[in-house]
Amino acid sequence: MRFNDNKNFARDIHSLVNPIAAIAPDKPVSEVAELFLNPDYAKVLSLPVVENGIPIGVISRYRFMDLYLKQYARELHGKRPIRNYINHRPLLVELDQPLAEAALHIAEHMSFPLTEDFIIIRHGKYLGLGFVMDLLKAMESQMRANTNELNQAYSQLKSSQMALVQSEKMASLGQMVAGIAHEINTPLGYVQNNVAVGQELFIHIQNLIAGYESLVDNLLDEQADEAEISAQMEQIAAMRLDFNAEEMLGDMQGLMVDSLYGIGQISELVMNLKNFSRMDAAATEAINLNDCIESALNIGRNVLKDKVEIIKELTELPKLTCTPSQLNQVFLNLFTNAAQAMETMGRLHICSWYDEQAVHVSVSDNGKGIPQENLVRIFDPFFTTKPIGEGTGLGLAISHQIIQQHGGEIRVESRLGVGTDFHISLPFAAGNVAQSAQPSIH
Amino acid sequence: MSKPTLLLIDDEERILRSLRMLFMTNYTVRMTTDPQEALRILREEKVHVIISDQRMPVMQGSALLALARETSPATMRILLTGYSDLEASIASVNEGEVFRYLMKPWSADEVRQVVAEATAIAQASYAVQSHAPAVTEDKKPRVLIMDDDEAVSKTVCEILGDRCEVIWANTAQHAMEELARQDISVVVSDLMLGDTNVGYILKTIKQLNPQTQCIVVTNFNDTSRLIDLINQAQISRYLPKPLNKSSLARNLDSMLARFHALRSQPVLANRQAVAQISDPKEKLQSGNFMGMLGRLRARIGV
Ligand SMILES: Nc1ncnc2c1ncn2[C@@H]1O[C@H](COP(=O)(O)OP(=O)(O)O)[C@@H](O)[C@H]1O
Ligand SMILES: [Mg+2]
Repeated sequence: MRFNDNKNFARDIHSLVNPIAAIAPDKPVSEVAELFLNPDYAKVLSLPVVENGIPIGVISRYRFMDLYLKQYARELHGKRPIRNYINHRPLLVELDQPLAEAALHIAEHMSFPLTEDFIIIRHGKYLGLGFVMDLLKAMESQMRANTNELNQAYSQLKSSQMALVQSEKMASLGQMVAGIAHEINTPLGYVQNNVAVGQELFIHIQNLIAGYESLVDNLLDEQADEAEISAQMEQIAAMRLDFNAEEMLGDMQGLMVDSLYGIGQISELVMNLKNFSRMDAAATEAINLNDCIESALNIGRNVLKDKVEIIKELTELPKLTCTPSQLNQVFLNLFTNAAQAMETMGRLHICSWYDEQAVHVSVSDNGKGIPQENLVRIFDPFFTTKPIGEGTGLGLAISHQIIQQHGGEIRVESRLGVGTDFHISLPFAAGNVAQSAQPSIH
Repeated sequence: MSKPTLLLIDDEERILRSLRMLFMTNYTVRMTTDPQEALRILREEKVHVIISDQRMPVMQGSALLALARETSPATMRILLTGYSDLEASIASVNEGEVFRYLMKPWSADEVRQVVAEATAIAQASYAVQSHAPAVTEDKKPRVLIMDDDEAVSKTVCEILGDRCEVIWANTAQHAMEELARQDISVVVSDLMLGDTNVGYILKTIKQLNPQTQCIVVTNFNDTSRLIDLINQAQISRYLPKPLNKSSLARNLDSMLARFHALRSQPVLANRQAVAQISDPKEKLQSGNFMGMLGRLRARIGV
């Protein structure tokens, strides 16, 4: 893991302290020059000058070079105390200062080219020397850690958000599956049974016909035995008694009509399902938004039909480039919310229209409405007033997100006890405007 | 002799028409889309079998069957449903006390067979209903707890006090030995005992003693397993864990009462006749259990 690396890097000033022995201000210049030649100090840019524990300045290698380049410098200055040559305003950093703050302070006060190290103090007293490069490295690694953390947090957020979207989809799908399974299994039940019943009827009728035929054969046969004929007639009479062919055939005809109707229902449902999910189609497509509305209505039919009367005022719409499966989800959620807001049979009013910029859809119900204090919260994830199992509180949050991703807007108006009004507008993408102006020429 | 009566309720008339055709030769078929009308028919006519849809706009099938149970206790109750959610299946056990839980689409032969079976049982029920002599108890009823958790056994002990003998089995072997005695009145069982799925034991209980009543207590929620337990074990109750003590107490009481009633009218135990075990593995396990019975009995000295 990349993360653990930064444990090896400095996280605070403590770890930057190099306990370099301080120089007394009276030390002669020549002796200090010797110190700079010491291989242990190879990395050191400057040496701290400390008096009574308090740092009073630094003397840098650079300053020495500057000094010693002059003629007779060694002779002129060598014996003099270092005090006269130091920078009296060293870079000071408090031990318990946060790394970032220290770095900021140093960045602001450091000179270029970099000629001095900084002095680390504690309560004003000299503690050690810090190297600017170390500080910068520490800063850099901390920043990298931060970005890593941020990146990780971001991707976690992203995936949990995806999981949320999925779970709302599954929850609403779960509610739908119950309805859909029921809607398919019901016609499937009677169609299958009708076929089974028809098959049995078929055998009965075959037997009956065989009986009639052999009776007719015998009747036509001059040599036929009278006794046999009357036995056959009795047999047929008995068959007719416990099986009224005419009535049964009449009923069966009715069942055939039912069966065809049932098969029609099943195929319609399967088609709706296919249209609705278009699982592969996270893809965008130019479609008529009314189709999304119809698709969501079809899928939700089972949930809606006993709760609301649906009134549609759908204007013929130009095509809009969007992600249909997502918009299906939005509409389905608005419709189910409306149905769930009904205490008795209610009305759901769905309108669509368009102008130059956008397609508009309004979904209005006359349900119980949303109290003022909830109105600002309904788009929040997990905000729900419904019992567990009925509401996830994600429907509107996700709808809002989907509409935003489409560059559109979703607004709500509601009056307690009167009803709720959702308004969605989805702008035409640049390409769509032209398309809407005139029908495409093919 | 007049034909037995079959009552059909579904909100889809095509289902009614279709089923009517299947049964009209051998039954008087009454049908309606209206649950209230169904209850009226139950009150006014002798109905042998009622088949109801679960999902209907006005009333759930399980609720209708619960009312049917009060209105006409001898009528055998069957649920025929297009979709089963857990809630509906639990209600069909605990409230509807259904004889069978069938799914749409159904097999014509299977439904016909189930209805025939139910009809025979209903006829027997109608025959004995009028006179029910009370039997005096000679022995304390025995209640078997099949659960890893001793707390369940303790709770049952607290509820029943010294009215019953409570036996705690935490292995399948022990449970089977107790059941082999055939004197258990009520079983309170989880679906898992250690690593063993005890479904096959529950499904064998009615073969050992048709009067034994079974309460399943579990936090396991699997609709299709529950439906199997309804049809193949005729469990009497399905209670979710954590257990609600007062609900457990109420159900223990009514199951002990039912056990006594069945002792005095053994023929009524047929009302809980079970369907064949469908899972091949469980079928084998149950067969082995029945095969072991002789040895088990010899060992425990029954
Ligand atoms: N049409 C509506 N009428 C009344 N209340 C609504 C309507 N639509 C949404 N709400 C309120 O907003 C809440 C959040 O809705 P939503 O995000 O779809 O989650 P959920 O439907 O799962 O509760 C609902 O619980 C409900 O209180
Ligand atoms: Mg919702």
